Amino acid sequence: MRRFFKNPLNLISLAIFTLILTMGFFPDLFTSYDPYEMNIEEMLAPPSLKHIFGTDQFGRDLFARVVYGLKKSILVAFFSMVIACAIGSAVGITSAYFGGKYDIFVMRIIDAFFSFPPLILALFIVAFFGTGMLKLIMSISIVYTPIFARTVRSFTLPLRDVNYVLAAKSIGRRDASIILFHILPNILPMIMVTFTMNFSTAFLTEATLGFLGFGVPPPEPSLGGLIGEGRNYFLGAPWVMIYPGLVVAMMVFSVNMITDSLQELMNPRK
Amino acid sequence: MISYIIRRLILAIPTVILVTLFTFIMIHLVPGDVVDLMTGTQNYLTQEQLRELYRSLGLDKPLMIQYFSWIYNLLKMDMGISLRTGEKVLKMILERIPVTFELAVFSITIAVLIGIPLGMLSGVRRGSKVDIIARIFGLAGLSAPTFWVGAILIVLVSRAFPKFKIFGYTPFFENPISNLSSILLPSLTLGLLISSQVMRITRASVVEILAQEFIRVARSKGLPEKMVVWKHVFRNSAIPVLTTAGIQFGYLLGGTVVIENIFSIPGIGRLVFEAVSKRDYPTVLGSVLFITATIVILNIIVDVIYTFVDPRVRLE
Repeated sequence: MRRFFKNPLNLISLAIFTLILTMGFFPDLFTSYDPYEMNIEEMLAPPSLKHIFGTDQFGRDLFARVVYGLKKSILVAFFSMVIACAIGSAVGITSAYFGGKYDIFVMRIIDAFFSFPPLILALFIVAFFGTGMLKLIMSISIVYTPIFARTVRSFTLPLRDVNYVLAAKSIGRRDASIILFHILPNILPMIMVTFTMNFSTAFLTEATLGFLGFGVPPPEPSLGGLIGEGRNYFLGAPWVMIYPGLVVAMMVFSVNMITDSLQELMNPRK
Repeated sequence: MISYIIRRLILAIPTVILVTLFTFIMIHLVPGDVVDLMTGTQNYLTQEQLRELYRSLGLDKPLMIQYFSWIYNLLKMDMGISLRTGEKVLKMILERIPVTFELAVFSITIAVLIGIPLGMLSGVRRGSKVDIIARIFGLAGLSAPTFWVGAILIVLVSRAFPKFKIFGYTPFFENPISNLSSILLPSLTLGLLISSQVMRITRASVVEILAQEFIRVARSKGLPEKMVVWKHVFRNSAIPVLTTAGIQFGYLLGGTVVIENIFSIPGIGRLVFEAVSKRDYPTVLGSVLFITATIVILNIIVDVIYTFVDPRVRLE
């Protein structure tokens, strides 16, 4: 742990991550502008001291809109990962633990999912379900469930035949309790790393879907929704897309940097 | 080898069927079909006319029958007709393949040219300044949204060279020079992003290989470091890079949706996007089939190439 904090890059990433999270959940601490207040006189004003990110096509302060939009994006990414992780882990663990036909059946379905680019899959699902926060969460979680299932299955496989699991079986403990009390605690740290890694990509997916026009729709857009709205103006007013995109990139970068460093430190071979 | 390829292709059939079936069911589960979309909110059609419309589009039959007739027609090389443009789906897909193919080839070339040397350098000089910069570059590429990098490039180029035609696409045989200039920025965007992943994989495998016995042997017998790196590290680290090529291709296809969208390039990615947004079912199904088949076939090709690079690997 000490080695983690020795690296300045990790510290910076942690700081960025905390800052963005705080911004997302306490937006009024960071801006005094109302994200919905339109101002015709200041339409698409470039970044200045008054509006550090500039203004959008309705003269609304872009920084305020980004800060208020962050929460939605974080919530979308977080809850879709919670759902995907819960269902995916349940499927992954049981599939590895019980094996047999059930395992083969599950793996076939997962393979089918994997023969498809995740972004296009997300696009399909969200386009058919329609936009809106809940639908977006549902769509992103469907895309990520097979990823969790496959990863968690690979974590569980080596544990199926270890002595303490065999011992628990031989004294007649029920499968459910073996899974809950013997297998799950052992793979929990690895599941958490997988969760964080996928959280950052889910955040990216949300923004990209927004760019393609499937974000949380106005008037209370997520970051993705903001980017989608700004799209039509970005040639004349680049800031409407560049700054929200920058915030997305910084958020994802800081999470990736943290997980990457943790993995590097945890890997004894390197 | 040939029997291996045939076996893999046969094994892939259930996957492809599952994917198309899944898409098919999903399309029909969702409320609002193409007829609703065609008629809009102001629906002046009588019940009789509506029924006729459904019948002419083949949407009145049970779901399973519709799916089987789609498969049946597919075997006759008929993917149906786009509900949006009235063109044949197969023709639309075939027209757009070369565009996306060109984009893919250029992007991957850029990605490999940047990613592999950078990954080697960073892996060999682990912990150095080069390594730190390369690692940041790698993570940044992983974190930056595709559309964002594209937007930045567009803004920069349009400011620096106001005359440069950024959007649109010119076919190669129409005008090779403007073809290349129209594909330059899109492939640079995608290539940069993929290069970061190529770099990360190369670095990881270089680090792994440098720790192995035969490297220590090579060094201890007095082989110059340059030879160690070229003869032993380079060749061995190519394997994991190749293995992930299949996965990268999936990422690439996802990336083309965004890139073709932002640069207005008429490729497969844009076709998919438009079909999905307009609920053009036959085109959606056709492109789903095309994408899945491409990825499946590419994975097989990667596995075959694998045996050439690494003689230890045998196809079973």
